[in-house]
Amino acid sequence: MTDMTWEKPSQPVAAPRKGERTKFLIGGVLIIAAVLYLIISGTTGNTQYFMTVASVQNSADYVGKTVRLSGAVIGETIQYDSQNLILDFTIANIPQETQNLALTLHEAVSDPGAARMKVHLENQVKPDLLQHEAQAILTGALGEDGVFYATEILLKCPSRYEESVPDQSIKSET
Amino acid sequence: MLAEIGLVATLLAFFTSIYSIGASIYGERISRKEATVLSGRNAAILTFVLLLVAMMGLMGALLNQDYQVKYVWSVSSPDMPLFFRITALWGSQAGSLLFWSFLMSAFSAGATIINWRSHRRLMPYAIAYMMAVVAFFIGLTLFIENPFSRWWILPNNPVDSQVVDSAFIPSDSVAPGAVELASSANGLNPLLRHFGMAIHPPMLYLGFVGFVIPFAFAMGALASGDLSTNWIKASRRWALVAWLFLSLGLILGGRWAYDVLGWGGYWGWDPVENAAFLPWLMGTAFLHSVMIQEKRGMLKTWNMFLVIGSFSAVIFGTFATRSGLVESVHAFARSGIGTPMFLFWFSLTFISVGLILWRRNRGELKDDHRFTSILSRETLFVLNNFIFVALFIAVFWGSFGAPILSELLMKTNITLGKDYFMRVTPPLFAALYILMGIAPVSAWGVSSARRLGKAMIVPLVLTLLSLIPFYLTGVHTGGALVAYGIVLMAGWVAIFETYRAVVVRVQMQSENPLLALWSLLRRNPRRYGGYMIHLGITVIGIGVIGSTLFQMETQKTLAVGESLTIGGYSLRYDQLLKGQIAEDGRMMDIAEVTVIRDGQELAHLRPRRDFFPQTQGLNTMTISGAYSTVENDFYVLLVDWEPINQDAATFKVYINPLINLIWWGSFILILGTVFAMWPKELLPSRVRESALAGALVGKGA
Repeated sequence: MTDMTWEKPSQPVAAPRKGERTKFLIGGVLIIAAVLYLIISGTTGNTQYFMTVASVQNSADYVGKTVRLSGAVIGETIQYDSQNLILDFTIANIPQETQNLALTLHEAVSDPGAARMKVHLENQVKPDLLQHEAQAILTGALGEDGVFYATEILLKCPSRYEESVPDQSIKSET
Repeated sequence: MLAEIGLVATLLAFFTSIYSIGASIYGERISRKEATVLSGRNAAILTFVLLLVAMMGLMGALLNQDYQVKYVWSVSSPDMPLFFRITALWGSQAGSLLFWSFLMSAFSAGATIINWRSHRRLMPYAIAYMMAVVAFFIGLTLFIENPFSRWWILPNNPVDSQVVDSAFIPSDSVAPGAVELASSANGLNPLLRHFGMAIHPPMLYLGFVGFVIPFAFAMGALASGDLSTNWIKASRRWALVAWLFLSLGLILGGRWAYDVLGWGGYWGWDPVENAAFLPWLMGTAFLHSVMIQEKRGMLKTWNMFLVIGSFSAVIFGTFATRSGLVESVHAFARSGIGTPMFLFWFSLTFISVGLILWRRNRGELKDDHRFTSILSRETLFVLNNFIFVALFIAVFWGSFGAPILSELLMKTNITLGKDYFMRVTPPLFAALYILMGIAPVSAWGVSSARRLGKAMIVPLVLTLLSLIPFYLTGVHTGGALVAYGIVLMAGWVAIFETYRAVVVRVQMQSENPLLALWSLLRRNPRRYGGYMIHLGITVIGIGVIGSTLFQMETQKTLAVGESLTIGGYSLRYDQLLKGQIAEDGRMMDIAEVTVIRDGQELAHLRPRRDFFPQTQGLNTMTISGAYSTVENDFYVLLVDWEPINQDAATFKVYINPLINLIWWGSFILILGTVFAMWPKELLPSRVRESALAGALVGKGA
C-alpha cells in the first residue's frame, strides 16, 4: 500500500446513524435551496425581453428598460466614427420572421411605412457583418430621445444561413 | 460518379444498420441462434465500412471539384486551397451530418470489435442501440439533408424554376455546364477558414458521438438484465475517450473564437457553446461517480441517469444547434431536420428513463452500501455530482429552458444574457474547486475531520505561499485572492498527493523519483492521470480568473509612427500594407505594429482585415495579432483605417492577463486524460512483468 488515505476502512460499514442521516438531509436541502436561489435570482435579474422595433416604439413602458431588439439594418444609414468607436445606424421593424429570412429583411428595409429606429453604440468595433439587410439583434435600452442605446450587438446575414440557389445562368450550356 | 457511389453506399449503410438492430435482438432474444447474432454484429461493422465509402465519395467529389454536387457547390470554390477543400467536408449541414454518422459508426464498430469477447452478453443489445442511433442519422442524411444531391436543369419548366437539386436524375433533365457551376460556386464560409475551425468540429463530433458507447452499454445492461458493473467496465474507457475529444473540441473552439472572432474573449455563454458544454458537465459527473459504483457498488441508478443524461444532452445539443432553434453565431440554416431530431431526442430519453425506472422497480438497481459519513469520499463524490448536475441545470435553464418556456407559456421571447451565467456559475465552479481540493485526501467509508485536516496542511501552506506573487503583481482585492486560493488549493492537493506516493515508492522500491512517478502513472493510471487532469483544470481556472477579472482594453486612432500605451506596454504603428492577396483569394489590409515595453521592442505584430471579394454576406474578417507571455496576451485588432488618408488607423488593444494558462492547462488536462485511459495491456512488457512480479511477491508474503 503506497497511500494510506485510499484504504478501505477496516471496520465493517454500518447503516448510517440517525444523526448522520439528519445531517445528510439538512445538507442536501441547503444545497438545493442555494442552487435554486442562485438560478432564480439570476433569472429575475437578467431577463431580457426580445422585442420588435414597433412594439418598443409604441409603448413608453420600455424607456430605460433593458430589452433585446431585432431589426433589419438599413445600409445607407450606417455611420461609423472609427476614431471614437461610435456606431450609428437605423433599423427597420421586422413584422414577422419567416422561413426566408433574406426576403423578410429585404421587405422590411424596402417598406417606407415600416417603423424605424435609430441605434447608437459606443466603444464598439464595427462588426464585420454590419451591412445592408443584415438582421441586428441588439441589447440595450430606449432613451427619452427615441434613440436605442445598445450595449451589445449580434448580427445575422441571411446568405450565411440559407443556402442559395445558383444563378439561372448555370443553365447556359443547354 | 463519386456522388452516385456515395449515395448508394449511404443507402446500403441505412439497410445494414437496420438489419443489425433486427438480427441482434431477434438472434439474442427470440431465435437464440448464435449465427443470427453474429450476422447482426457483422452488419454493424459493415455499416462502418459503407459509411467510410460514402464519406470518401463526398470527399472525392470535393477534391475533384465536382460542382454539380450541390454540397460541393455550396461549400467550396475553385480558388480554395486543398486543406480547406478537405475541411469543407464538415463545413455545412449535409456534409457534417454524414461525417457525424460516419464517426458514430466508427466508434460503434470499434466498441463492437474490442468488447465483443469480454462482454458477450451485453453486446447484442449495445449494438442494437448504437445502430439505432446510427440509422437515425443516416436517415437524416438520406431523406432530409442529402449531401449527394446534384443540380439539374429542367428545360421544360418555367424560366425561373428550371434549376433544381435532386439526388436522382429527374426525367427530361440536363446537367448544368461545368464552367458556369464552377464560377458561381459559393466557397467555404470565411469564418471557417482557420486551422482551429478545421479541427474543432471533428474533435467536438468525436466527443459527442463517443458518448453513444457508454449510453449503448448502459441500455444494454438495462435490457439484458446484466446489471453488475460489467457495463461500466466495458464503457468507462470509451467515456474517457469521448470526454477527451469533447474537452479538446471545447478548448479548440475557444481558441478559434479568440483568434478569429476578434472580441478578445474565448467563451461567450452562447447557446451553442453551452450546448456542447452540457454533455461535458454531465459526462464529468459520470466519470467521477462510476468510481463509487466500481469501488462500493453504490449509485447504480444515478449512474444510469448520468450516462443517459450525457447522451441525451448530446442529441439535444445537436438538435438545438442544427434546427435553428436558438439565436447564435453558430447556428446552422433553419432546417427540416428539427422535428425528426426533436422526436428522436424525446423518444430516446423517454425510453431510457422508462427502462431505468422499470429495473429499479423490480429492485435490480439496489446499492450494496449506504452512505455512512458526511466526510467520506463517496459523500464528497456525491456532492461533486450534485454540483455538476446543478451547473448542468443552471446552464440548460439559461440557454434553453427559460427562453423556450417563456415562449411556450407566456408568448414572450426572452433571453438570459451573459450576466445570468456570470452570476450563477461562479459560485458553483468555486464549490467544485473546493471539492477538488478535499475529495482526493478523503477516505472511502469514513474519514475523520482530523485526518482530513492534517492531510491538507501542506497544500494549504503551499497555496498561501503561491498567493504571494499574485499579491505582489497587483491582485489586492479579497474576492480575487480567495478565488485564486480556492483554485490553487485544488492543484496543490493533486501535486502533493502524487508527491507523497512518489516518496513512498522511492523509499520502498529505491527507484529514482522520475521512474517512481512513471510507475505510479502506469500502475494506477486513473488515479494519477486524474490528478494530472485536476492540475490542468487548476491551471485553466487561474487563467480564466485572471483574464476575466483583470482584462484591460483601450482604443486609439494613430498616424504612422505614433504610439498608444496600455498596462505598461506601448504599441507603435509602423505602416499599413494594403490589398495583399492571399492564396485563397482574400484581400488583406495589414497593419504592421511594434509592441514595446521599457524601451525594448518585444514583437512585431500584423493585425489585419481580410476581405473576401467572391463571398456574399459575411465577407470581411478582423484578424487579431497577439504577443503572448506567461504574464498576459497583448492582443491587438486593426479596427479601421481611413480610406482617403492611409496614414491613420484605429486600433483596439486588449491586455488579457494569464490567458495563456488556459491553453497550457488544457495541454496538461489532455495529457492526463491520455494517461488515465491508456489500456494497461499496452504497457511496455517490462513494466507489466515487474507489476506481475510485484503481485506474485505480494501473494507469497
